[in-house]
Amino acid sequence: TAQTTFNWRMTSFYGPQAAFYSTGPGSARDLIDRIQRMSNNRIRIQFFGAGELIPAAEGFDAVSSGIVEMNYANAYFWTGKTFAAQYFTAVPFGLNFQGLNGWMYDGGGLDLWREVYDRFNLVPFLCGNTGVQMTGWFRRPVERVEDLRGLKMRIPGLAGRVYQRLGVDVRLLPAGEIFPALERGVIDAAEFVGPFLDRQLGLQRVAKHYYTTGWHETATASELIINKAAWNRLPNDLKAIVENAVAACNVISEAWCQKNNADAMEDLIRNHGVMAAPLPDPVTDRLRTETAAVLDEAIARDPVTRRVHESFMAYKARFDAWSEYSEVPYHNKIRRA
Amino acid sequence: MSATTLRGARSARLAEAIDLVVDRVGQLSAVAVGALVVVMASNVLLRYGFSIGSVWAQELEWHLMSPIALIGAAYALRHGEHVRVDVLYAGFPERVKAAIDLAAALAGIAVAAIVIWLSWRYVGVSWNNAEGSPNPGGIPYRWALKAFIPVGFALLLAQFAAETLRAVSRLRAA
Amino acid sequence: MPLTEIYAILMLVGFFGLLMIGIPVALTLAVTGFVFGWLGFGPLLFNLLPHRIFGVVTNYSLLAIPLFVFMGVALEKSRLAEDLMEVVGRLSGALRGGLGLGIVFVGVLMGATTGIVGATVVTLGLLTLPALLRRGYDKGLACGVICASGTLGQIIPPSLILILLADIMNLSVGTLFAAAVFPGLMLAGIYCAWILVLGIVRPEMVPAVPAEERALTSTRDLLVKLFKVIAPPVGLVMAVLGSIIAGIAAPTEAAAMGALGALVVCAIGRRLSAGLVVETLRTTARITAMMMFILICAQVFALSFRGLQGEQMVHDLFEFLPGGVAADIWFMLLLIFVLGFFLEWIEISYIAVPIFLPVFATAGVDPVWLAMLICVMLQTSFLTPPFGWALFFLRGVAPPEVTTGDIYRGVIPFVGMQILAVALVFFFPAIATWLPAAIGW
Ligand code: NA
Ligand code: NA
Repeated sequence: TAQTTFNWRMTSFYGPQAAFYSTGPGSARDLIDRIQRMSNNRIRIQFFGAGELIPAAEGFDAVSSGIVEMNYANAYFWTGKTFAAQYFTAVPFGLNFQGLNGWMYDGGGLDLWREVYDRFNLVPFLCGNTGVQMTGWFRRPVERVEDLRGLKMRIPGLAGRVYQRLGVDVRLLPAGEIFPALERGVIDAAEFVGPFLDRQLGLQRVAKHYYTTGWHETATASELIINKAAWNRLPNDLKAIVENAVAACNVISEAWCQKNNADAMEDLIRNHGVMAAPLPDPVTDRLRTETAAVLDEAIARDPVTRRVHESFMAYKARFDAWSEYSEVPYHNKIRRA
Repeated sequence: MSATTLRGARSARLAEAIDLVVDRVGQLSAVAVGALVVVMASNVLLRYGFSIGSVWAQELEWHLMSPIALIGAAYALRHGEHVRVDVLYAGFPERVKAAIDLAAALAGIAVAAIVIWLSWRYVGVSWNNAEGSPNPGGIPYRWALKAFIPVGFALLLAQFAAETLRAVSRLRAA
Repeated sequence: MPLTEIYAILMLVGFFGLLMIGIPVALTLAVTGFVFGWLGFGPLLFNLLPHRIFGVVTNYSLLAIPLFVFMGVALEKSRLAEDLMEVVGRLSGALRGGLGLGIVFVGVLMGATTGIVGATVVTLGLLTLPALLRRGYDKGLACGVICASGTLGQIIPPSLILILLADIMNLSVGTLFAAAVFPGLMLAGIYCAWILVLGIVRPEMVPAVPAEERALTSTRDLLVKLFKVIAPPVGLVMAVLGSIIAGIAAPTEAAAMGALGALVVCAIGRRLSAGLVVETLRTTARITAMMMFILICAQVFALSFRGLQGEQMVHDLFEFLPGGVAADIWFMLLLIFVLGFFLEWIEISYIAVPIFLPVFATAGVDPVWLAMLICVMLQTSFLTPPFGWALFFLRGVAPPEVTTGDIYRGVIPFVGMQILAVALVFFFPAIATWLPAAIGW
């Protein structure tokens, strides 16, 4: 019998040319290319960057109602729909790339994700990771917890809530206004992504203190959502192709981000006079305490979030214990030797 | 009094009644403009002067554009603000002008009806999910913001109906 | 040719037809969009429309529109604008075109505070058009100067076009802002030169304020008036700009400071009253809603253009092109120019730019220079009849004796000047690339 072909559309939270997300190894376009080649074009997917078909933040509803079959984003953009979505991208002081993959694939994370999204008619997939992000750019050094009080910082989402508890004046600015605002001192600090994309925005020209390793996003997962009815229409072989393509992109995207961020960081420090350092320990400790309090508030409000939280934290405890024998000695003794 | 003029008088009264309602409700958009100026300016001054700021108040800024644009559309139509290219139109005889205005008003009714129909489910989904802000500390009622779409276009539909009535009587008179 | 492409072409034709017979602009966009979209791909895709409308009415950058319109309306209602133009006219003395130069100057200042064309055009139109007409300026020229000066904000940073291009082309916003400074000032300079030349060649189009009128105000009075009348509005624009430069407000927020400042200025001039505030709010709401309604209806048109594979049509055209990078660049610029007749700049950027990027990247074309060429060319889309945002926005606030025909006629020389500016940037790339390089970006 003649095989059915599927003509699908994919929208994205990111611009049509955005590096990491829309172009490059493991990105949305690469994912589409892999699916099309493996299926011999039995699934054909037309890609639309943010704003081309619908605005960035509208993909969730569009796929949910089935007008568009797929959307590429990060789950934490949907915390207004279900707070649990935060855990499927990154939780402050959460898991690294290895740990998150462990929780997703073997610790019940992916199953929970599917369960939470089921009532929205969505099937979620872990399709990429941009690795660890950076704390952000500061015009003045942060030496004590008190330095955060009254600091005007562009920081969206959950991390903003945590900073707020330490007296930071949280600013919501669209990406386009970050540069002029930081340049003129309308804000004192800004968080964006990581060295490669931050450099592209030009933030190193207007703030020199780059605090490193994002306590708030220790490894940021990308999300592909597929409309449930559309997914159910796919024959098993095509389903397997999609499942394998997203898994491949999950690894490939992270590797590419590591490589590009490493190069960009070297350039920032060597050629742009950027001073990169982790936040002082007392500051990190306070951020950790406040994060726990914020998450406690969230799980108290919503039983679904509580279940996801408990699964995540249970896995994290086991992963951390194992890390004490594996990764921690590796970083502290073997790598440094 | 002939049946035609009676009908004409009745439709003129109906059109005026619609004008009045649209005028009253449409003023909400003017209130929203005032609120926008006050909220945004005080956000800037409080932040700069006293380092006081809240996510809620910042989100309110762009929540206000929704009523300005959507409630205001019918209000603008009521006051004849919607622009057209009058290069040829200005030279047309009154009968042709009235016919064009009638066609435009009917098209407006159709467009408004389609948008109401399309946006109904969109608002319903948001309402059912009790959709809130993705920013912790933001404004929780995302559905209300979306509801301005069908509400605004319903007002527009009413105003286009009034325009239709007026265009019909102009066409009759010409 | 596939059926969808035929519908796409019919949609453009239908759009022109309805627009020209006088159907309101917004309805023209919505009706042709719905009809040909429905014929081409059925009803399903239109379910995305609420998503697009929601995107428009919650767009943070567009908040500058009501705020700047408020500022303009308040100044106009308080009759400060009228006095302002009088003083500018008096100051420029016997110089023909003096008022016109003043408008370009204000356009540059306002352009440095916002990237929203509509806001600047409406404000300038409200403030200056009646005064220009009363002093015998040619209607078309007056409209042309206002529209062209209003679009300067799109290239003079901060600018939405530059932000979007940075996103699409993967460039630094800061670098593009720096690169746009000289092309923007050059464009303003060309406008000024044109007005001065007209003052010599066609003096009746740009009359100087008559000596008798000037004689009415003594130099002493002028100085007093200068302080009382010119200082507040110019101070206001400087305050908006200043609050950005001093780091008090982000660009969009600065517009709110302008709106608030307008009330303060009215109060200082003892013209503030409850009636003035209420009338200003009402007028602002109506003008803003009119502009937003066109934007909303443009979503129907743009969605249908996509659904009908309009960008594929553009793509296919490109395949026909003979080789050569310079030819490719000019083809892209021509395409942007032509698309400007019926699409708005956001759609043009998404449709025209990504197709060419891989070609130019391979050929090693300087992306910053390329972005500037695109940016200056996009300026024309605001001014080219029949569909130009600047034209409609001015139409919305112009007095009834100004016809759309006057506006169309008036902008044509300015479209020519913008094309000249594109050519200058093309042949002298340093206009765009020197500044970012000089400050090490
Ligand atoms: Na600008
Ligand atoms: Na145009």
